[in-house]
Amino acid sequence: MTISRINIGPVHPSTHGVLRLVADIDGDTVVGVEPHIGFLHRGVEKLVENRMYMQCPPYFEKLDYVAPMSYDEIYVAAVEQALGVELSERAAYSRTILLELQRIASHLLWLGTMSNDLGQFFGMFMWAFRDRDRVLRLLEEVSGARMFYVNMRLGGLVRDFQPGFDERALEVLGYVERRVKEYERFIEKNPVFIERMKNVGVLTKDMAIELGVTGPVLRGSGVDYDVRKDNPYYVYGKLNFKTQVRSECDCLSRYKVRVMEIRESIRLVREALRIMPEGSAVGMPTRLIIPAAKNRIVGVSREMPRGECFVYMVADPQRPYRLSIRAPSFANLAALGEMAKGCKTSDLFAILGSLDLVMGDVDR
Amino acid sequence: MSTGDFVLAAMQISAGASGMAAALSYALTVLLLIVAFDYAFGWAERKVIAKIQARHGPTYVGRFGLLQNLADIIKLLSKEHAVPQKASSALFTLVMPLMLGLSIFLVLLVPFSPDLLGPDLGMGALVVFVLLSFMPLMAFVGGISSGNKFSSIGAQRSALMLMAYELPAMVVLASVGALAGSYGFLDIINAQALTNWFAFTMPLGFVVFFVAMLAELERPPFDMREADSELVAGWLTDVSAPYFGLALFVDYTRMFLGSLVMAILFLGGWAGPVLPPIAWLLLKAFAISFAIIIVRATTARMKLDRLLRLGWVALLPLAILNLIITFMIFMR
Amino acid sequence: MKIDREDLLGKMGEKKKEGFSYLVKITAVDYDKHIEVIYFLRDMARSKDDSIEVEIAPSDAWVPTVTQIYRSADWYEREMAEMFGIEIKNRNARRLLLEKWNGKPSPLRKNFGWGEPYERE
Repeated sequence: MTISRINIGPVHPSTHGVLRLVADIDGDTVVGVEPHIGFLHRGVEKLVENRMYMQCPPYFEKLDYVAPMSYDEIYVAAVEQALGVELSERAAYSRTILLELQRIASHLLWLGTMSNDLGQFFGMFMWAFRDRDRVLRLLEEVSGARMFYVNMRLGGLVRDFQPGFDERALEVLGYVERRVKEYERFIEKNPVFIERMKNVGVLTKDMAIELGVTGPVLRGSGVDYDVRKDNPYYVYGKLNFKTQVRSECDCLSRYKVRVMEIRESIRLVREALRIMPEGSAVGMPTRLIIPAAKNRIVGVSREMPRGECFVYMVADPQRPYRLSIRAPSFANLAALGEMAKGCKTSDLFAILGSLDLVMGDVDR
Repeated sequence: MSTGDFVLAAMQISAGASGMAAALSYALTVLLLIVAFDYAFGWAERKVIAKIQARHGPTYVGRFGLLQNLADIIKLLSKEHAVPQKASSALFTLVMPLMLGLSIFLVLLVPFSPDLLGPDLGMGALVVFVLLSFMPLMAFVGGISSGNKFSSIGAQRSALMLMAYELPAMVVLASVGALAGSYGFLDIINAQALTNWFAFTMPLGFVVFFVAMLAELERPPFDMREADSELVAGWLTDVSAPYFGLALFVDYTRMFLGSLVMAILFLGGWAGPVLPPIAWLLLKAFAISFAIIIVRATTARMKLDRLLRLGWVALLPLAILNLIITFMIFMR
Repeated sequence: MKIDREDLLGKMGEKKKEGFSYLVKITAVDYDKHIEVIYFLRDMARSKDDSIEVEIAPSDAWVPTVTQIYRSADWYEREMAEMFGIEIKNRNARRLLLEKWNGKPSPLRKNFGWGEPYERE
C-alpha cells in the first residue's frame, strides 16, 4: 500500500481558477485533500479602507466574477445601512429582480461547468453559456455592461429599467425555463450522470452545520436555511417562494437544489415584475458628499448564488474603517477536505464541481 | 521502428499474395485509406460536436474548415519534441511510433473488398482482437515512462480497464465465430450474405460489443485514460506536440480499425447493392464512427470502478446469455 | 456581548449548547487602542444570530482556539492570524492561509501604512 501525493493545480482544467489541491492518493482512493488558496488574493478588505464609499463597488464585483451583481448589491446595502439611506419601493423590487436574474445566470454557468467536470465534453457547457448570455443581455440592458455592472447606487440603481423590459425579461425567462427542463431531462435520464453524482461527496446534516458550509451545499444537506426566507431583505418577504431543500446530502441533491432554485428564481422574477409598483428606482449620484455615518457598525447578510455572504462593516464618515467579508465559496471550500476523504479520484472533481467555487470569492 | 518495417512484416505474412509489388501496393493503398479516414474523421468529429454544442467548428481554413486539420498537423509536427527530465527517454520516445506501427499493421489485416485483401489468416478477427489489446499496455508503458503522476494514473487506468471489456468482447466474438463457423474475416462476411447481418441475428451481442469496443478504443464515456477534466491529459500530459499529433493519429486509426471490425462482424462487411463493396464497407464504418462521436458529445465520463462493475455485472453475463441464445437457436 | 478572552471557551461552549451550532465567521477589527475579535454565531433552527466580542491588547494579541467547539473555525482563525498577527493559542496548524504573510506589520492592522512597499517573507 503506497500513498502517492499529487498536486492538482493551481493550473488545472477543473479547479475553476487558481486553486491548488494537494491530494494523497492510495491507488484510486483519495486519502486526504488539502486545499491551498490565496493565488487570487487581492486584499480587497484592505483596499476599501483607503477608498471613498462609492469608489468601492467595482472592487466588490471582481470578488465573484460569476455573480458580480450580488456583491455589488451587498456592499451598497451595507453602506446604505451605515448611512441610513432608505430605498424606494420600486428600487427594492428592481434590485430583487436583478439579484434573481443574476442567480439564474450564475446557476446556469454552474450547470455547465459541473457537467464538464463530470466529463461531459463541453456540450452542456456551451448550452448553458448560451442561455446564460440571454440573461446577461437583460442585465446589460439595465446596466450597460455585460459582466461587471456597477449598477447599484445608494438608494437605488444607476438608472431605471427601460420601457418594455418586462416583456423582454418574460420572454427570456420562458426560454430559460424551457431549456432548464430540457437539461434536466438530459442529465437525469443519463445513468452515467446519475452514477457520477449519486452518493458521492456525502455531507450529512450535522456535518454540514459543523463544517459551516452555506448556500445550496447546506440546503443540499437537508438544512432548511435560506437568508431570503429566514431573514428577508428587500421584497423577498412579500413574494411567494419556497426554500429548496434536499436531504440526500450528495452531489445529486446539490445539483437538484440548484436546478430547482433556477425554477424558483424564474417564478420570483415573474411575480416581482407583475406587482412592481411605478415610481423611480434611481439612486443618489456617486459624487455625493456623505455626512457622518448614522450607524457605526453594520452587518449585512445576503443569500448569494453560492451561499450566504455576510459583510461586517465598521463605518467612518467617508470610507469604511474596517470591512470584513464572509465569502460563501471560502466557507464551502473549507469543507472539501472532509467531503473528499475516502472517495475515488474521479469523485474528487465531482465534489469540487458541486461546491460551485469561484476563486475570486475564496481568496478575496 | 518505422512504417516500412511493418510493411515488410506484412509482406512476409502475405505469402499468398502474388509477390512483392502486389504486397507493397496493397500496403500503400491501405495506408492512404487510413490517412484519408483519419483526416475525414478528425474533421467530422470537430464539425459534428460543434453542431451539437451550438457552435460552428472550424470555418476559416479552407471551405467548411476542411483544411483546418492540415494546418493543425503542420503545426503539431513542426514543434519541438521535448522529453521530460524525469521520463525514461528511450521508452518514452519509442512507445508512440510502436503504437502507430501496431495500429497500421492491424488495419492491414482487415480486408476492404474482394479485390483489396490482405493476408487471410483464417482467424483474422481473433488476431486483430488479441493484438488490439496490446495498445492499452503500450499506453501503460508510455504513461509510466513519462514520469508524470497524472500520466501514470492515466496509464494505470488504461491497463485496469482491460479487465472490464476484454472478456465480454471475446465472448461475443466467440458467438460470432460460432455463427460464421470461422474467425476469418472473409468467412464472417460471406456468412452474413447481403441482409443476414449478425447485428439482426444477435442484437444483444451487438450492443455488448459496441459498449466493449467504446471501452477498447477508450472513447467517452470510457476515456478515463485521458480524463481531461481530472487528469489534465492523462497519459499524454507530458507529451509534446509531435507525439501528441501521433497519439491522435493512433487514436483515429484505432477508431478506424474498431469501426471496420464492427462493420465486418455485425453489419455484413462490404455486402451491399449498387455501390462498390469498398464504399459499402467504408460507409458502414463511418456510420459506426458517427455513433461513437454522438456518444462522446452527449454523455459524462464513467468512473473506473463503475466500468469494472459494468463489465463484470452487466456486459459479461449479457455476452454469455447472447452466446447461449446463439447456440440454442442457430446451432441445433 | 463583550467578554474576556479567558471566558471565551466557556461561553462558546454554552452558546453551542443553547443551539447556536453554526459559526458564521470569525473576524477582527483593529481599533488602534485595542483589537476586537468577533465571533458570529447562528442558531439554524430558530434563525437567530448572535455575536461574541473579545477585546485584546495589540501588544499581547492572542486568543485561544475554538476549533474544538466549532470545527469551521479552522480557516477563519488561520486567516485572522495571518491578517492581524493574532496568535491562536493551543492549535498546531502553523500554515498560513492566503498570502503566506507573516511579516510585520500584519496587513489588516491600522499601522500597516500605504505607499511604501513591504517585503514578503
